[in-house]
Amino acid sequence: MRRVAALAIAILCTFAAVGAISADQSNTGCGIGTMIFEGKDGLLSQISAATTNGTFGNQTFGITSGTVNCKKASSFVAYEKLNKFVGDNMDNLAMDMSKGSGEYLSTLAVLLDVPVEKRAQLYSVLQTNFSKIYTSESVTHIDVLNNIEAVLSAS
Amino acid sequence: MNCSRGSVRTVLPICALPLLILLLAASSAHARPIQPPEDPYVQTLLDDARRAELSEDPFWHTLLHYKGSILGLRSLVDDPKFFLVVDGKSDPEAELEATIRAFFRPVVENEEHPVCRFVARYDWLKTKLTIDESRLPLSRCRPFEELLEQIKPESVTLIFPASHMNSPASMYGHTLLTIRTVFDSDLLSYAVNYSAISDETFGPLYIVKGLLGSYKGYFSILPYYAKLQEYSDVNDRDIWEYPLDLNAEEVRRLLMHVYEMQNIYADYLFFNENCSYDLLFLLDAARPNLNLTDHCAWWVIPLDTIREVKKSGLVREAVYRPSRSTKIKHLASALTESGRRDALRIVNGTLEPEEFLKRETANEEKITVCELASEHLQYKHAKGELAKEPYVGRFMKTLNARSTLGETGDDWARQIPAPIRPDEGHHSNRVSLGFGVDDEDRTFQEIRLRPAYHTLLDNDAGYKPGSQIVFTDFVLRYYSQDGKLELEALNLIDIVSIAPRDDFFKHTSWKIRTDLYRRTMRNGEDYLVYRLNPGFGLAYENRFLGLCYAMLETELHVGGALDGNYSAGAGGSAGILKNVTDSWKIHLFAGDVYYGLGDSDILITVGLGQNLRISPDMSLSVELVGSRDDQDSGLESIIRWNAFF
Repeated sequence: MRRVAALAIAILCTFAAVGAISADQSNTGCGIGTMIFEGKDGLLSQISAATTNGTFGNQTFGITSGTVNCKKASSFVAYEKLNKFVGDNMDNLAMDMSKGSGEYLSTLAVLLDVPVEKRAQLYSVLQTNFSKIYTSESVTHIDVLNNIEAVLSAS
Repeated sequence: MNCSRGSVRTVLPICALPLLILLLAASSAHARPIQPPEDPYVQTLLDDARRAELSEDPFWHTLLHYKGSILGLRSLVDDPKFFLVVDGKSDPEAELEATIRAFFRPVVENEEHPVCRFVARYDWLKTKLTIDESRLPLSRCRPFEELLEQIKPESVTLIFPASHMNSPASMYGHTLLTIRTVFDSDLLSYAVNYSAISDETFGPLYIVKGLLGSYKGYFSILPYYAKLQEYSDVNDRDIWEYPLDLNAEEVRRLLMHVYEMQNIYADYLFFNENCSYDLLFLLDAARPNLNLTDHCAWWVIPLDTIREVKKSGLVREAVYRPSRSTKIKHLASALTESGRRDALRIVNGTLEPEEFLKRETANEEKITVCELASEHLQYKHAKGELAKEPYVGRFMKTLNARSTLGETGDDWARQIPAPIRPDEGHHSNRVSLGFGVDDEDRTFQEIRLRPAYHTLLDNDAGYKPGSQIVFTDFVLRYYSQDGKLELEALNLIDIVSIAPRDDFFKHTSWKIRTDLYRRTMRNGEDYLVYRLNPGFGLAYENRFLGLCYAMLETELHVGGALDGNYSAGAGGSAGILKNVTDSWKIHLFAGDVYYGLGDSDILITVGLGQNLRISPDMSLSVELVGSRDDQDSGLESIIRWNAFF
């Protein structure tokens, strides 16, 4: 229990700033099932895309823009990466979290700055508390981040 | 130029006037615009540059994308914003001098200074000319430094999303680069991509315009996880990642050139100035003297650019990243029939995950069923086959169920066996030498040349089974008894996609062929006719028989030798493709076409093709084809030696 508490404290510092974001009411947040690219899969669009290897729509120099469909979080530059990552990958992250392993989950650990030796523990806690993190069908990425914080501080 | 009739003495001056005007115009076009008096320091830099012949330096040509053409040296970049001087596109020296001068321009509010705008040029010239930074109005590019700070680049990887069965858009694959950051996660890398941008909706015009270079190509940067959602997850494409051996300095140079190329366009040409070719400029900019872009070709196939990069020694290894559909197939194969059924019922909502958990099944199986169901739910939603509302509900319930089952201890996604690397399959060009006996018992020798890409009978290593992509196949035959040399066929496009259906994937197989081929007429003579032959159908994979397919087809022939100059009909074909061993493939096929319109006829074909791989770039094939039409029947047999290069 104490080890988990120590881990939780380390992560909570990260969340100090993230928590402030949820106070911003204008941020609608990204939910499950959001897609960055609407699939254009019809045969004709396939053939057309072949000649340009084109992707359609938002081809920006997207270093700062990442979450296309969702409103950007406010001005916390340092944690923008965490916010954007979770917002853009709600489904894949949820899947990995429910499995207790996977690339999206380990990326979350990297962004939370969790040392490698503590990650197995983190994944286990997150998996056990999955339904408290992804609480409903309408959960947003802001909720998910807040819930992770809550789960870790409670353990 | 029409000179009016009149006496010679009046006519000559009148005719000379337009000529004189033309000469004046021509000379003024070559004259440099009048410059203000040069700052002496700038002048010394210009003199140094001229003495060192920097405008001839290959690296200058790389940064400006200059390539030789029939019009002389020209930059492949078409955006005028890329050049500081009007004829910069064709004059490296003028562009170089304008660049040096531009560094000394005063800083203008809200305008990016040339030191920043052309950060790679500045970085190179600064060193080559040992420019005294204290003399410049601006010596550091803040936006670029911030970019470096945000990205923290560490290494570069060449990415190859392979072709996907059933998707013409992905036929030749694609290449892009990813820049790995200091964050220890591939997903957080930045993907650098070159492609054509258009606001137009898709359609036949889009295809034509793409081929003709009417679209502008741009470089773009996106987080890799966003790119993956486009390729791997949505489009069923396996991805191969080739980490490159570039050091920190080289990675920085690459990023500098990407920065210079932002929002700059070049006409996107499908055949040779495409995603893969233009990407090579970034690698050339990273390491001077790499000269990957020197390899001139009429067409550039993405896989061939990967082979070029390999040859230059930059590639260390290859990493396989399976697509979602590959993951689904893998999980499904680990389950029994009932396990697969359960997963499908969860996906289509007829089985509640909570109910499923109450069963007596082993925990391992429950885990696999839940994971398979959740992957397949995501797949269907991404493909637009499952609307958001039912998707979210079922997805969340499945994940909740999964989260109660504990961990498996191993990441199965990493354990999916990797197929043969695409760059280790046969090369793209093929030449074949054959000899045989045709259906009129005449012996012949044959030579075939096919620049691209892969046929059903070729060995599958590195390629998608059941796929065929041919862009031009030139077939010449010499009939020894008659001493006749004939064009047997000229295949223009021949694409086949045989995609097996199963419980999880309901693919449609299809084909399209257009060529000139020899058809036997009523009088027994054969003539070349133009043929257009599309088809679609179904296929299944059978453990014993192999890939079994059946298609409905239509055919249109056009040719002077035909009655009414055309012949059209419909019919079907079926076949079995089987890899007896890794090196020995068999294709058994049959077809029937009833030409009801125009020159009418019935044609039935039955054939057996066999291919034996001798080495990755050499094979032997034997084909026996029996055909029968209204008048005649015959058997053609041929043995071919195929070499790939």
